[in-house]
Amino acid sequence: MLSRLFTRAAWLVVALVSAFMVGCSKADLQVRQSTLDPKGPVAKLQYDVFMDTVWLVLVLFVLVGGLLVYAVVRFRARPGDDVKVVTQEGHGNPLVEIGLITASIGALVFIAIPTLGAIWIDDDVPASAVPTSKLSAWYPRTISGVEQYAATLENQVLEIDVVGKQWWFRFEYPQLGLTNDAKHSVPNEMVIPKGVAIHINLRAEDVIHSFWIPKIAGKVDLIPGRKNHLWIQADEVGHYYGQCAEFCGDSHAYMLFRCEVLEPADFVKWVASQKKEAAPVAENTKAAKGKELFAAKTCVMCHNVSGHFGAGSFAPDLTHVASRKSLAGAWLDNRDPKAQVAIEHTSPLGTEASVAVDPAVLKANLIRWIGSSGVATGADGKPTKDVKPGNRMHFYKMFNVASLNETHQTFTAEELDCLAEYLMTLK
Amino acid sequence: MSHDSHHAPVASKLELAPERSDLGLYRPDRATGWVDWLTTVDHKKIGILYGAFAMFYFLVGGVEALAIRTQLARPDNTLITARMYNQLFTMHGTTMIFLGVMPLSAGFFNFLVPLQIGARDVAFPRLNAFSLWTFVFGAFVLNASWLFEFGHLAGWFNQFEWHKNLIYTDFAPANGWFSYAPLSGTIGQADQALHSPRFTGVGTDFWIIGIQILGIASLAASFNFICTIVNMRAKGMTMMRLPVFTWMTLVTAILIILAFPAITVALIELMFDRQFGANFFNPSAGGQPILWQHLFWIFGHPEVYILVLPAMGIVSEILPTFTGRPLFGYPIIVFSGCVIGFLGFAVWSHHMFTTGLGPVPTAAFSLLTMAIAVPTGVKIFNWMGTIWGGRVRFTPPMVLSLGFIWMFMCGGFSGVMHSSAPADAQQQDTYFVIAHFHYVLLGGVLLGLMAGLYFWFPKIFGRMPNEKVAYLASGLVIIGFNLAFGPMHYLGLAGMPRRTHTYHAGNGWETWNLVATVGAYILGIGVATAFINLVWTAFKGRKVESDPWDGRTLEWSLPSPVPEYNFAQSPVIGARDAFSEHKYGDLRLIYEKDGGPSGVHMPSQSWMPLLASAGFLFIGFGMPMMSMGIPYAGWLVITGLVVLIAGIWLWALEGPGGYMLTTPTNTAPANQPSASLSR
Repeated sequence: MLSRLFTRAAWLVVALVSAFMVGCSKADLQVRQSTLDPKGPVAKLQYDVFMDTVWLVLVLFVLVGGLLVYAVVRFRARPGDDVKVVTQEGHGNPLVEIGLITASIGALVFIAIPTLGAIWIDDDVPASAVPTSKLSAWYPRTISGVEQYAATLENQVLEIDVVGKQWWFRFEYPQLGLTNDAKHSVPNEMVIPKGVAIHINLRAEDVIHSFWIPKIAGKVDLIPGRKNHLWIQADEVGHYYGQCAEFCGDSHAYMLFRCEVLEPADFVKWVASQKKEAAPVAENTKAAKGKELFAAKTCVMCHNVSGHFGAGSFAPDLTHVASRKSLAGAWLDNRDPKAQVAIEHTSPLGTEASVAVDPAVLKANLIRWIGSSGVATGADGKPTKDVKPGNRMHFYKMFNVASLNETHQTFTAEELDCLAEYLMTLK
Repeated sequence: MSHDSHHAPVASKLELAPERSDLGLYRPDRATGWVDWLTTVDHKKIGILYGAFAMFYFLVGGVEALAIRTQLARPDNTLITARMYNQLFTMHGTTMIFLGVMPLSAGFFNFLVPLQIGARDVAFPRLNAFSLWTFVFGAFVLNASWLFEFGHLAGWFNQFEWHKNLIYTDFAPANGWFSYAPLSGTIGQADQALHSPRFTGVGTDFWIIGIQILGIASLAASFNFICTIVNMRAKGMTMMRLPVFTWMTLVTAILIILAFPAITVALIELMFDRQFGANFFNPSAGGQPILWQHLFWIFGHPEVYILVLPAMGIVSEILPTFTGRPLFGYPIIVFSGCVIGFLGFAVWSHHMFTTGLGPVPTAAFSLLTMAIAVPTGVKIFNWMGTIWGGRVRFTPPMVLSLGFIWMFMCGGFSGVMHSSAPADAQQQDTYFVIAHFHYVLLGGVLLGLMAGLYFWFPKIFGRMPNEKVAYLASGLVIIGFNLAFGPMHYLGLAGMPRRTHTYHAGNGWETWNLVATVGAYILGIGVATAFINLVWTAFKGRKVESDPWDGRTLEWSLPSPVPEYNFAQSPVIGARDAFSEHKYGDLRLIYEKDGGPSGVHMPSQSWMPLLASAGFLFIGFGMPMMSMGIPYAGWLVITGLVVLIAGIWLWALEGPGGYMLTTPTNTAPANQPSASLSR
């Protein structure tokens, strides 16, 4: 009975180990949010420290686990054993104990040293990175005679303010004039230059969120009433995926964001493009009707569209909404799905390249997003399922304003179409 | 008034004349059936009740876990809404920790500690009953939030004015088991106390008051066990002869007493924020959300050891029994348990590495967290030392204990990985952490507790669980568990955050989530098999004699099931492992000349602990109902306070009670007497 059980247990161990091996060989280590595929010095350092712990643990696993298996097999009761013989054996051995404790402490020192080093390097932009990363090293101070940033900022590295809200991120570049106060903030899609160190300031306006782009840097929390920071640097151009990592309420799972890494020269152009105001809308078009609805349906109270409306500052800035590759906290993807699939099939292991926005997908997403909620109706005239349950755009109760009620936010399918057409003009 | 004089010694308490308390109230000493169970002060019955409720809530938490895994099996799944999912994972965590593992451990404390130290009951039997019923009502309040949630979803409340005024309508807690403020708290300026802007509905209020009530139960029980272990040991049972399980109970009880005040304070502050317009954690009024995290984790991390140490104690009893050797390095095992308990208070901020503590605190907590691996490793080494040179018998409890050591070791390894703060910056709040603490708490603690159940069931009920079913269940649990939680290490490193109710296809997480779900179902079947096996055993299992495993501690010297007076004559202990050494030749155990025809003193049963605890039921419903805005709900709270105070008052006035019970004489186990009692 016992030996049969024993054989079965051995098979169980073999099965688990082989399942583990198969699993390891099948696991793709370079998926979108992989922490094992670092693309910048911060993530790389964290990866290196992690690998130190992996090696230590593997050695310990083989030693301790092997010894445990050996002991259980070697000292198993066999038929005919007199179990009582060993009753009076000793109660421990001080030398063995002290030796093992010393060895454990030694093993921990092996990971403690790289850990301590990395804690300080992770904290803020290291002095050695400043000469190549300061603004004057890569960003022209004046372009065509227009000053891009103040002379006093020359020796600073680029700073980005990240504000977390339920359930989206707002990015501001205060040195370059892209701020919410200046009506030029960037929601959900951070853009950064390649190869320079960046200081990031983290703030939250409602609950705690966490800023995390696994391939570029580990997470740091955004805590209301508290200023946090980290530094990042990306060494490859491409499209990176980030996500809020601290549970923040109903739609936490939908609080994603993107990070686009550009060559420094392209980044300079991108900053200029963000400062442009929205182009006028041609009269007597669907878009013109949509622009009217934007005001009539109270969208304008929260959303800013520089050049058209300027009242809103609470919700994402829509001045360039049609140029963004995602919608609704990066949950809905506006990119050309075919091109996207092609990229994922041709270079599954490299950094993902940027794919252009597909207007048809963008429009469908806009209609689905605005139309979705219990109080509004979708393109088919029926209430659609909430894309982000609890979000402020649909959850009017949150504002506790008596005059704001359901009728202000209900759209017919035709109205929704016009509104989408208007938003599509905001490149 | 004396209660000792007017009882004639009799063999059974049912033959005694009915008794009244000092107030002339009825003492249900002679009751049978459900009145007996409701008013019992017998530590063994209380232990069984704790165990039964814990197993029920294990199933509840397990069903919640399976719902979670079902939702995550496919990407972009819409089976469960975001809000329902958030409620499920919050209640899963809270249920498993506070209503599953802690009460099951408490069941073992209750049943075993007096038997292992040679006592006839705990120090305060009625307080023990109060702990039990307070836990039962606290657990009910917490889960009653589901009844409100289902009522809300079914639309029962739609006609009421208070329901129309609610801004947030989540009725079951949806904050995660550590309920970070300000998501669980308030924001902005409160116009009125009851209408301060919040982020969550009354589920949070259920959670706050429910945990508060459960904390009272845990604190009362812990004081009781410390008094019992320190004061009620049999003669000769010195501290360094205590069975390791009793030692770990003592350490756990001390941890509870030192850790729970922090969460009590935090919960009161959060309750004041939400219900009375205070601003402890409200950032827009100068409150500090980070304060909640410090208060919670200085409770929350010792809580991990509160969950783990009893299982370590159980395994430390099982290994010597089935290897036939004394525990290797007993003093070091005891000492490392104490060190773990002590260091457990020094590592709380490793849960907060990503909150921007600054490099110096981060480094300090990183190093302290690594340090705690040393005493934990010491335990594993000593367990191996116990196996070394022994004769390992692969009984179901032993198989589960070996599983415990293995899984706990793996959980410890991933723990070492995120003790390193820079590595933790990538792992924090991902499935890597989920994998880590499930290896510790499920692979570790649950296997340890299951081992304990299979080990002591023959003692508790005098019946032996079916061995084949036990092996089958253990195999399913171990396979299912590894299949469910092994892939989560990968998912976490591949960037999947915890507490997300769905994820997009294309992130590379699809396959392993499906595997994890399959594993979870196998695990569920395994746990269900084990529980069915155990429940069946309790009623119908094969009867066994008193010492089926060749046990080493005092409880195995008693008949199975254990008589209500435990020891017919009080034991005098001559060595560590006295019963085992006594069986095999040396005189290590003699008995005092008490009991017998002159009887032993038994505590009277009482309604008062149940009555006092019932006050918490009213308070537990009243506070969230106040928060809902239901008219006059505040009076429910006041009623609860009155009931609580009345219960304690009558409890104090009814007098200690007690009666004499005769016991059989000459029940000492056989031995071959040798020269001296002690060596």
